[in-house]
Amino acid sequence: MRKKTTHGGAFFLAVILCLPMGRAWAQVPYFQNKTIKIIRGGAPGGTGDLQARALIPSLRKHIPGNPTIIVENMPGAAGRKAANYIYSTAKPDGLSIGAVGAGLVAGQILELAGSQYDIDKLIYLGSTESGDPYVFVSRKEAGFDSLDKLRAATGLRIGAQAVGHPIYVAGRMFAFLLGLREPKMVLGYSGPELDIALVKGEVDLRANGADTVLQRNRDLLEKGFYQFHASITIPKGRYTQGVPKAPELDSFAKTDKERQLINLFRTFLYPRWPYLAPPGTPKEIVAILRGAMTKALKDPEFQKNFKKLMATDATPLTGEELESAIRELPRDPEIVALYKKMADHGPLPPR
Amino acid sequence: METSLFNAAIQGFLNLLHLKVLLAMMIGVSIGTFTAVAPQGLGMPLVYAILLPVVIKWEPITGIALLIGASSVSAICAAYLPILFGIPGGSGSQATVLDGYPMGKRGEGRRALGASFMAGGLGCLIGTLTLAAAIPAAKPLIYLMGSPELFVVMLWGLSMVAVLAGKRPVKGIIAAAFGLLLATVGQQAQSGIMRFVFDQPYLLDGISISIIALALFGVPSALDLALTKLGVEQQPVPLKGSLFDGVKDTLREWWLVVRCSFVGVWVGIVPGLGSQVVDWLAYGHAVQTCKGGKENFGHGDVRGVIAPESANDAKDGGDLVTTLLLGFPQGVVTALFIVALLAWGYLPGPEMVKKNPEVIYSVVWLQGISGIIGTLIGFGLAAQLAKLAEVRYTFMVPIMFIFILMGAFSVNRDPIDLLVVVAFGVLGYFMRRFAYPRPAMILGLVLGDLMEKYLYRSVASYGFSWLARPAVILLLLLASVSFALTLRGRIRARHRATSSSFSGVMARSEDES
Repeated sequence: MRKKTTHGGAFFLAVILCLPMGRAWAQVPYFQNKTIKIIRGGAPGGTGDLQARALIPSLRKHIPGNPTIIVENMPGAAGRKAANYIYSTAKPDGLSIGAVGAGLVAGQILELAGSQYDIDKLIYLGSTESGDPYVFVSRKEAGFDSLDKLRAATGLRIGAQAVGHPIYVAGRMFAFLLGLREPKMVLGYSGPELDIALVKGEVDLRANGADTVLQRNRDLLEKGFYQFHASITIPKGRYTQGVPKAPELDSFAKTDKERQLINLFRTFLYPRWPYLAPPGTPKEIVAILRGAMTKALKDPEFQKNFKKLMATDATPLTGEELESAIRELPRDPEIVALYKKMADHGPLPPR
Repeated sequence: METSLFNAAIQGFLNLLHLKVLLAMMIGVSIGTFTAVAPQGLGMPLVYAILLPVVIKWEPITGIALLIGASSVSAICAAYLPILFGIPGGSGSQATVLDGYPMGKRGEGRRALGASFMAGGLGCLIGTLTLAAAIPAAKPLIYLMGSPELFVVMLWGLSMVAVLAGKRPVKGIIAAAFGLLLATVGQQAQSGIMRFVFDQPYLLDGISISIIALALFGVPSALDLALTKLGVEQQPVPLKGSLFDGVKDTLREWWLVVRCSFVGVWVGIVPGLGSQVVDWLAYGHAVQTCKGGKENFGHGDVRGVIAPESANDAKDGGDLVTTLLLGFPQGVVTALFIVALLAWGYLPGPEMVKKNPEVIYSVVWLQGISGIIGTLIGFGLAAQLAKLAEVRYTFMVPIMFIFILMGAFSVNRDPIDLLVVVAFGVLGYFMRRFAYPRPAMILGLVLGDLMEKYLYRSVASYGFSWLARPAVILLLLLASVSFALTLRGRIRARHRATSSSFSGVMARSEDES
């Protein structure tokens, strides 16, 4: 009770003191006493969700006024539902920030169902990660210890999750550019189910994130279970420590068009977990958020939290870097059409 | 090896004998109980996602105590919703509504709650013991079945429709077929083709089974109370049965508890099956194997509560087998648990079994002890919860609708889900009125997606040679024998039945009022 009176008195005094000082009002940080909602395009507990939670304490610290930041999960259509919400429903007042996955960029370029946003109009604040390498592996005991043996086999079964999933697209690109004969995609697995299917011989090959191999299958890796055939590093040349350096897929490309295809894949997965503000957000607010995001992503606390939650180092991108990556996105209709064939159901195109 | 595992088990227990660890476990149990009692509002994945950044800064065993304490009890207390309100609980305890609610309406809510808590506690213990026993040899369990074998098991599960459709086989098949059809809504993983999406982003991922189950059972139950103008236990029947009667029932049916717990452990161990099938498989197993099951299940047979609840709670032990011993997460919660273990420097899987077996045993002990505490808390709360059944319908009906709508909204936090729950609620009301078995529809919905996935993978990987695999032939034989016995039992029961005593479990939905 006593405390309440003291607070009340202090508040009254503050009001009296502030009344003649109009300029002081203007200096009250915009985000003070406000709540920012991070609209996460995925279910609680996913990789993007964990990265958001690793970021929040540092982001809050660096936004002037230290607003409360909460996560609101909006799963659906691989993050495109959340992107739609940020694009067309959320108020452009800086209090709603979208946090989606790499599907944001691919969704629009490939005209995937449910992509009702324009990536050129969204405002980019940064990304907690910038992609990790993909590797193409088989069981060592299957005996495909050279590329020639792999190419000689017909109808090899490549496991993946679903049509359009990055693991599916990567698997098809590896098969296409390594020149496999009539590869067969076997789909409908979750990541761990696919690991088991490879061990059981239900599938012969799979693409996988190199970080995932390290996190989930380190024992198999150490036992020499895997035969690594090729990799796609993102950005080019950045390998994961502890995973054998298989040849870059680019070295198997025969034409410039094929190299651009790999680059398009890289670009889609480069802004791995982009943070977005709605179009029309005032420049001053964008500047505050981008500045805070840049500082938060460099903050040792974030780096430490990230490493603990993800078992790997953060590879963040600033808002400016992200925006520039989107601007420079290859949009050559011919390359996009070829990519669509990789991401779609049906036989691989002839080379 | 045995001696070292024994030492590890002792060390695992000694790890817990610190005040802060025990305190963390109790806080976890309280959080888990609150999550279970709250009307589907929070959910364990969200709780884990919120707790994780905090607990990874703690000492490992203290953090593990909090997380395991919360998750191990989250299913034990969840049965009050289906029993007292006729609203399915979270995934894994939806089938409890089939017999739990009729018991509640018959004045036996306390008995049903007693049976569910006891069965849940025992299931949790059996799951935990299986986890402990599996530590030396987990791999064969997980690599036992491939896609062809899993397809046959799902097919076997679908044959339950024949049992559950009772005297209305045609309506049962129609309902199951509608469920199978609903399971096709969304983008098909294998071809990328959009099925019944109509350019609506909402339908891209299909319709949530939790929302449909909530609507099909919850809305008609609420409407039922509103129309009869009576509380759940205000039917013209005397209140009977106590919590202790439920405990006695469960102990008497110990063999059913053991069998269904192993169904739960198996569902937990096999990657990709998911928690949504566990209660239905256990319920179907109970109907097929219990004496008089085909006649009594669906009318408020306590065994219809014991079977799904024991399986659902045993599943967590199975989940942990795969998570800890192989490093494969079985869902969002176990994926987050792996993240926490990685953050503490453990690598779940064979390396952890080799290097940190005492930590695995600490998890085993925590799982078991938390399960016991959760069961006791359940008994403590039961008396208070059971009073809800005596509340007048004027209060109860709005509360039920709030629970249903909150439950539906909590699944995806999407307002469209509120419209969907109302639409399927109306459908559920008419299905009940015209005696179309609603659980058959849920079964079709739950199994449809899995069957399609396993069949596709079998054919894509092996062509039709998968049919010649010995394990497939054996399972097909077992499924055929079981199906034939079921049909024979139904025909015999039809001959024996008096005018009112026989009807199939599923078709009894119209009797629930």
